[in-house]
Amino acid sequence: MAVAEPYIAPATPPARRGRPAILRAHGRLDVAAASLLVLVTLIALLAPVLAPHNPIQPVGLPMQSPGSGGFLLGTDSIGRDILSRVLFGWRSSWFAALAVIASGLLIGGLIGLVAGTLGGVADTVLMRITDGFLALPAPVVAIAVVAALGGGFVHTLIAVAVVWWPFYARIVRGEIRLLAARPHVEAARLAGAGRLRIAVRHLLPGAVPAAVITASLDVGNLVLTLAALSFLGLGQPQPAPELGADTAHNLTYLLQQWWIPVMPGIAVMVLALAANIAGDGVRNLLGDR
Amino acid sequence: MTTLDTAASQPDTMEAVARVENLSITFRRGALNIQAVRGVSLEVRRGEILGLVGESGSGKSVLGMSLLGLLPGEPAPVTSGAVTVCGKDMLNGSAGLRRAVRRQHLGAVFQDPMTSLNPTMRVGRQVIEAAGSEDEAVRLLRAVGIPDATRRMASFPHELSGGLRQRVMIAMAIAGRPALVIADEPTTALDVMVQAQVLALLRSLRDEIGCSFLMITHDLGVAAQIADRIAVLYAGRIAELGPTATVLHAAAHPYSAALTRSRLSLSSERGRPLVTLPGEVPDPAGPPPGCPFEPRCALARDECSVTMPEPVEVAPGHLSACILPPGEVAAAFAPAPPASRITTLDEAAADVPAAPAGRPASAAAAEPAVAARVQDVAKTFRVKSGRRRVGLQALRGVSLQVAEGESVAIVGESGSGKSTMLRVIAGLERADRGGITLGRGAGPQMVFQDAGASLTPWLTVGALIGERLRHAHLGAAQRGERVEEALAHVGLPAHVARARATQLSGGQRQRVALARATVVPPEVLLCDEPTSALDVSLAAVVLNLVARLRRELGMAVLFVTHDLSVARVVADRIAVMYLGRIVELGPAEQVVASPQHPYTKALVRAVPDLGVTPAALPGEPASPLDPPPGCAFNPRCPVAEPACADPDFLPRLIKLRGEQDRTVACIRAEVN
Repeated sequence: MAVAEPYIAPATPPARRGRPAILRAHGRLDVAAASLLVLVTLIALLAPVLAPHNPIQPVGLPMQSPGSGGFLLGTDSIGRDILSRVLFGWRSSWFAALAVIASGLLIGGLIGLVAGTLGGVADTVLMRITDGFLALPAPVVAIAVVAALGGGFVHTLIAVAVVWWPFYARIVRGEIRLLAARPHVEAARLAGAGRLRIAVRHLLPGAVPAAVITASLDVGNLVLTLAALSFLGLGQPQPAPELGADTAHNLTYLLQQWWIPVMPGIAVMVLALAANIAGDGVRNLLGDR
Repeated sequence: MTTLDTAASQPDTMEAVARVENLSITFRRGALNIQAVRGVSLEVRRGEILGLVGESGSGKSVLGMSLLGLLPGEPAPVTSGAVTVCGKDMLNGSAGLRRAVRRQHLGAVFQDPMTSLNPTMRVGRQVIEAAGSEDEAVRLLRAVGIPDATRRMASFPHELSGGLRQRVMIAMAIAGRPALVIADEPTTALDVMVQAQVLALLRSLRDEIGCSFLMITHDLGVAAQIADRIAVLYAGRIAELGPTATVLHAAAHPYSAALTRSRLSLSSERGRPLVTLPGEVPDPAGPPPGCPFEPRCALARDECSVTMPEPVEVAPGHLSACILPPGEVAAAFAPAPPASRITTLDEAAADVPAAPAGRPASAAAAEPAVAARVQDVAKTFRVKSGRRRVGLQALRGVSLQVAEGESVAIVGESGSGKSTMLRVIAGLERADRGGITLGRGAGPQMVFQDAGASLTPWLTVGALIGERLRHAHLGAAQRGERVEEALAHVGLPAHVARARATQLSGGQRQRVALARATVVPPEVLLCDEPTSALDVSLAAVVLNLVARLRRELGMAVLFVTHDLSVARVVADRIAVMYLGRIVELGPAEQVVASPQHPYTKALVRAVPDLGVTPAALPGEPASPLDPPPGCAFNPRCPVAEPACADPDFLPRLIKLRGEQDRTVACIRAEVN
């Protein structure tokens, strides 16, 4: 007889214990955050469809106030439709932020995983390199990269990505070091798992929540950083629609035709806010494990 | 005491220091209502020690917190009933009133003094805060038996041993002569010998100060040592309440009777499956409508699942919440245990003794093959002590041989090096010196104390067990079959393979850990205190399981434990370790029955048991940072000679005269 002690099933099926209740408590917020994220991405994806006009060509009288002449957000100093420019700027800011975050997670995660798993000298060397990158200020690197490779949005993104990954490397490495001290890693070693397997199966998944939470809260930061770089003239060259640049170059109109700089500025704010709320949602979802 | 006025105005509370009436406490966790306490009534009389015994989840700690007026405020639990201490309302009273009662009438001791003492303050200042003056603080520290109290005042909590820290907590608890001290598992984190010391201290304090104690514990043996009356709590309800001797020896409730019987002691029967309590505590979010113990009760009847029995007086001062007449319960549990639910017929028939007493120890003809041989292994860890790096000598030359299929228990206090030894054999640590030889079978596997932490939380049980089959070149279906087989072997249904560790109970996790270790049977199974974190009833189940797996799979078992009574039932041989050396080694029964080394003798005497007063060896275990010269045990040894402390004296394991396989490392054995 193989089974000596009868297994008594718990009163509730095990899978329904604990976590679903927590999810339910935060459920409404998470749904709101998720739909916000979907909405932001949809707007970005559908910008060409949603935009009523060509964002680069003048399409009406300059400096029309919002609502007049059929322009919902008005027109700028040379008669381009601000709504169309904001939508296209939204699109490029959002996808640029996602691209930098993704590259940061990939590079930083990999370096953090390697450093955290190996420990010792490899850890020290990799982390000192990381610290070096961490010390670089984003605008200076951007200026350097643009100076070296020439202007262009892609180059700006490369510059930002270069200074962005070290955050993730530090976070992932820290999580991995904590996890590596837990008994389940030793148990996995005894079960015959090799270094690579332990790193990928028994360590990495545990570091994902922290990295993803940081990343999601980071999107807002990135949108602002990219806007700031455009503001400094390091972003997309004119006349491409860019939220930061549009705000910066039109500041002179603030007192007379306020909508020209304010509308793209509000778009930056909404984007950052949406990303932060979504980040909170992700944290609620993953943080309460 | 300032209770005189209250006591005078309410004469009926003269007797009772604290009174709990029909108390219910429900915590809200999202949509779940966790019913921690469900209609409990009891009183703590003046000057008595009331033992509150229950498994984890029985609501005993919540009850203690409600007496302290320290139930969580946010989110506040839903409560009904009444809790009064010295006549003051601790349930609905204002925060100020409750604080005043705590200051004047209550003291508290918790399980882990490291977390309840402020790590940034010298203990002296903390005790003075409670005591009011420095003189009083020193007096209290002396009263709780802290040697060199004046000097100790300047220590930080981390500089004290666990036993001393708990004494400091007790000193703070009795400061101001409280009427009642709530002690929540005060000895659970301590070694047996220190536990015996602390229990003796609590007993003497009660006699000297006359305060009452509410002793919350999961261990009937601890309650038996010290309590005047025992209240057995089950699923938030009182199962039985009565004088200690009655509850222990003439239990009227099947749960307390089963608890007593499943408790391991130095006289538990060896060589057959331990008596266990099947099943688990009901889910506090949805307890059954009838008697909460009904699903696990061997004597349950149909009506038990319908109505919840209230505690009724079965004899003066003896309450039991069972519809059966006490005589029937006593008869069912008293002489020959009834065929319990777990001891199935064929298992009873195939009753291969856990300890093959007939093992031909002296049969030189067929020397059994060796599963693991440890030769003169030493291991020193570099640790930080203050600003210096010092060596922690965990193992100081240990040799041990485990035969194929044999079970050896390593017993010792914390700091004895017993866990390090397992880890060295497992290959998790590298020895500084000496050698490990393993048999040719599958490599050693280990079962950890905290099974939950040894299971990767995001992987399914199936993936974790299957990981050990990776090199067996099996298809996915075959692998799944093997996993299910391994789960069935430890008594778990196949669907557990899809669960994650966090969704399982403590007992289920330990079973999963065992299934993982045995899906490919190792030559040696290493068990590192696998039962010390489990409730009594679960511990017996796991021990049975280990014994059965060992028998069926032909594994050798090396079992580390601090509990001699556990060692005695799981092992053929016991190795007693002290400060990184084996001091005694021999057949389990003989080591316990006639210990030879003074340390083993002290260990045996310190085991808490029903109806026996354990004798505590005075003093603190020596530190592995600075082992005493000569025999490391000499500073605590009651029969030490000057020669024992000679730095050149190295006690070696010497065969006892006339006994084949017993060895002792003591100067007295050498003289003989």
